[in-house]
Amino acid sequence: MTGAPLTLFASFTLLGVLLLMVRGIFAARGANLESDYPPFDNPTNYPACSSEFVARVFSDQDSRYVLTINSPQLAKLFRGERKRVALAWVRQTSASIQCTMLEHKQVSRTSHDLNAAIEFKLLLFYSELMVLCGVLFVAVRAFGPLGLGRLAGYAQAHSERLAHVHQSLKAASSARELPRIGAA
Amino acid sequence: MTVAGKLVPVQAAYDDLLQRSLAKLPGDLSRLIYLASTRDYNSGAYHHDGLAARFRPEAASKALEIAHRDIFYHLAALSLAQLVEELELYLNSSHESPADVLRMWQKLEPFRVAIPVDVNPAMARLFLSNVRLALAIWRHRQEHAQESQ
Repeated sequence: MTGAPLTLFASFTLLGVLLLMVRGIFAARGANLESDYPPFDNPTNYPACSSEFVARVFSDQDSRYVLTINSPQLAKLFRGERKRVALAWVRQTSASIQCTMLEHKQVSRTSHDLNAAIEFKLLLFYSELMVLCGVLFVAVRAFGPLGLGRLAGYAQAHSERLAHVHQSLKAASSARELPRIGAA
Repeated sequence: MTVAGKLVPVQAAYDDLLQRSLAKLPGDLSRLIYLASTRDYNSGAYHHDGLAARFRPEAASKALEIAHRDIFYHLAALSLAQLVEELELYLNSSHESPADVLRMWQKLEPFRVAIPVDVNPAMARLFLSNVRLALAIWRHRQEHAQESQ
């Protein structure tokens, strides 16, 4: 594959990735649209989801149990319920990541010694997570959460990592700002 | 009072609550419902006269809140099969007929108000969803049992 076909392929791939990223960003918008309890107001107010939670929602353990009951209605109810829970988790994860980045942006605005390389890496990391949320959102909607455990686990672990990196940078920035304030 | 000084009565109240009140209840679902019933609907504060008399009211309230959250997270992490067992235990230990309780639970969904405040919303959704499924499974089993009789 050379020349024009390669360019076309690359353009479509890039467009696909961008669309998934937009989907990931917009996934958070629906976090409060569902009428189910409870409303999701501020992601930083809540404790993070445990990895066991992600394993439970995305694993097939409960699905196998429901299948042993041998009732098509129950199996259908289970698929619908699990899909809703998984979508709620994707929305919540996307909202948490965006909240972390928003807070980081606010901290960066007031920081006097920004490290461009670190900021660029964080932006890339954020973009990767948004693409991942987009992929998860589309896949869960289309096929349900089963079989997406590894991807969901990766998104969960890396959203926690992003929050941790942001907290470390925030703490380091505050520590550097203190002598300045003292000198002023 | 120091932070450690405040924590000791809460820990003591928590241990007392586990040993005296919660240990007598059959299963964690009963414990969750019981703990939710000690919470004021308007203020969200927890009250337990006996515990408040033995410890301070604030320590008793905090102990109830912690126990409520702990039991909720434990239940939310259960597999569907384990939750069906919990539900069965709860329904069979109720003073009402299990069929009546089941019908009311499916209609009114009282378990929605049994969720502690400020728990992770996704965990709360999983819990609600699993209880709904457990109720449907239990009902299906009862109907099957009646048909086979």
